[in-house]
Amino acid sequence: MSEPFEPKIVAFVCTYCTYAGADLAGTSRLKYAPNVRIVRLPCTGRISPMFILKALQKGADTVLVSGCHPGDCHFTAGNYHARRRWTVFRALLAFTGIPEERIRFSWVSAAEGAKFAEMINEITEQTRKLGPFTQYQELQKVIETQSTY
Amino acid sequence: MTRILLRNKLDDCIAAWQKAGFSVFAPVRQHEMSSFGEVQKASDMAFDLVLPERTIKDHFFPQTEPLIKYKIGKQQIDSETMTPPDRKRVFFGVRPCDASGLAIDDPLFGWDYKDDYWFRRRDNSVIVTIVCTEADDFCMCTSVKLSPESDKGADVMLRPLANGAGWQVEAVSERGTALLETIPSLLQENSEPTAPVPQVAEKFDLEKVMEWLASKENFESQFWKDISLRCVGCGSCTFLCPTCHCFDIQDEGDTYAGIRRKNWDSCSFSLFTMHTSGHNPRNTQSTRWRQRIMHKFNYYRGKFGVNSCSGCGRCTRQCPVDMGITETLQAISNLPR
Amino acid sequence: MGIQEQYRSEAAALLSSGEVKLVIGFGEGSTADRRRPLFARTPEEAQKFVLDAACIANLSTYLVTEGLLSDGKKVAVFLKPDGIRSVNILISEAQLKPDQVVILGYAIDKAEITALEGRNISDFSLGEEIRSHTPPPHILQEAERIEEMNPAERFEFWKAHFSKCIKCYACRQVCPMCYCRRCIVDVNQPQWVSTSSHTLGNFEWNIVRAFHLAGRCAACGACDRACPVNIPLRLVNYRMGKEVIDAFDYCAGENSSQKPVLASFKQDDPETFIL
Repeated sequence: MSEPFEPKIVAFVCTYCTYAGADLAGTSRLKYAPNVRIVRLPCTGRISPMFILKALQKGADTVLVSGCHPGDCHFTAGNYHARRRWTVFRALLAFTGIPEERIRFSWVSAAEGAKFAEMINEITEQTRKLGPFTQYQELQKVIETQSTY
Repeated sequence: MTRILLRNKLDDCIAAWQKAGFSVFAPVRQHEMSSFGEVQKASDMAFDLVLPERTIKDHFFPQTEPLIKYKIGKQQIDSETMTPPDRKRVFFGVRPCDASGLAIDDPLFGWDYKDDYWFRRRDNSVIVTIVCTEADDFCMCTSVKLSPESDKGADVMLRPLANGAGWQVEAVSERGTALLETIPSLLQENSEPTAPVPQVAEKFDLEKVMEWLASKENFESQFWKDISLRCVGCGSCTFLCPTCHCFDIQDEGDTYAGIRRKNWDSCSFSLFTMHTSGHNPRNTQSTRWRQRIMHKFNYYRGKFGVNSCSGCGRCTRQCPVDMGITETLQAISNLPR
Repeated sequence: MGIQEQYRSEAAALLSSGEVKLVIGFGEGSTADRRRPLFARTPEEAQKFVLDAACIANLSTYLVTEGLLSDGKKVAVFLKPDGIRSVNILISEAQLKPDQVVILGYAIDKAEITALEGRNISDFSLGEEIRSHTPPPHILQEAERIEEMNPAERFEFWKAHFSKCIKCYACRQVCPMCYCRRCIVDVNQPQWVSTSSHTLGNFEWNIVRAFHLAGRCAACGACDRACPVNIPLRLVNYRMGKEVIDAFDYCAGENSSQKPVLASFKQDDPETFIL
């Protein structure tokens, strides 16, 4: 019997809004899916596309990137820069065959604990439906085995 | 009377070799690139190529190869050696220059330490070359004292028949003789004439070049700076070379586990000889290009008695800025003396 | 007087008057249909320049050679519109000083070659031309074919192509926009991109390269032509160029005063995909 599929979600979040939002969800005793691994960063502007790529390679089924609402950035404009970057990066990943549903972006403020909890539940359920993201993991397996020739 | 193999017997031939435990490789066109790939039938093969874009070297010394898998635990480090494969292979339709490339690299991989990854593959492979009937503007085997009908590195040599129906077959090594013994019924006695071998003009005077390179005063010559001015420093000439063999050992993984790999490296990269201190003894493209030429036509010869170039011309053929060994050696042999 | 003779004498004049220290142009190649970059430092060397419809390389890549322009002297270079576009981008990214580059411009239309007016980058206004320029039909068709695939098919398509990559970095080296003194793949603390050219590592490299060129590509096609294993890099580049024009109405290299697209923003940039 193989284990039932449990989605792994990696969330890259900014510390000022979304992380505080997640914190609020916790202190408000809101229950949400335990499938998410949160990586806290100073700002969404700090989120390099490499993080997303590496997360997918290392076994994430869905990656979430989340930060302050436009206008709310602690550093004034970090999230505006990030937004442009994501637009382009998302298009690039889609063009090279990574389903768009695997990379999610959101704005969650420090006051939106409920939104964070709901969103994680929704993403978890959706990922469950999509199934595991195996394309990169299979490539990873290939490099760990010796060629037969 | 000689033995011939007819083209229409090739499917049976492949089947016979597969039955004898061989995987059969030949030039193929796949995803807009020509290279050596495994074939199941004659129609998979691309016979119309002067040369495949990729060399046969890829199958003996792959671009990246895992050597050791390791795991770092609290108490100990576990490691597992990835054994080199030893599957029996036939390489069919290799050009004489590519086969020579293998023979040129043999002493390098075996002089002080016998590289198992190379020799296991070498010992289990039979090279069936086809003598050229066509050459293009970049071919230069004759300039490095080889020829379109050289049998260096070959186990079996095929000469195309003039009528195009097949090949005259000749075993040139014991391994080749043994391979032909697996297909006796497919060979027939015949005296058809073979197709003419193309005339590949000599493009430079190799003796003069080697003499110039051997002279110490030329090492710092302005010549190197001028000739390499347009080199952009990519590695395509080295990676497509049938004899270039530099590699780099890299550990790939994280803090706790990983794989040690052997990857191709190229002397044209600016990091090639970069020291940890930040000092780089070859810190300009001209010194790197000089290294490539000196290695091939001076140092290698000094150590192993043979030049590390088989004249395939791929370096020039694929160069984005139209450089290559031919141009440099031509320029050296035309230098005023 | 043909354009070749005109530019030969102009290059010679620039060199003999001492206005420029170097002219980068084309010379004969190793076969009849090849042209190779040629560097002239004296008026005599300038007589070797060749200029015809086979001169398709983007020579602006040599302008960012380490140390070339650090002495403040000028360099002249033969450029097609895509090369001029590259120079615009390099100036907007503060990699070149406009007055250090003398442009000997030319355009190729099928087998016809014509000289372009102007010598300083400010003499050329490419905006209209770039925006109205449609890529060659084969690129459009190929790109469309990929867009129509489902994600799994697209992944297989690129897997087949990227698995061929040998990481020779010819695409990077010929690109005028890849001027980083230390490329992200050559950085090993941390090692974001594996140096091994297995398919996974090749995906990393090719995705990073495409991303770093998004909104900066001059569409000269140098990477695509340089690739020794024929990966259709033109397609990713085209797709990225399309994205920035569709999403941000930004066209790289229109002029030399634009702000780089990923280093700027508008408050009302589209965000349809954000939850």
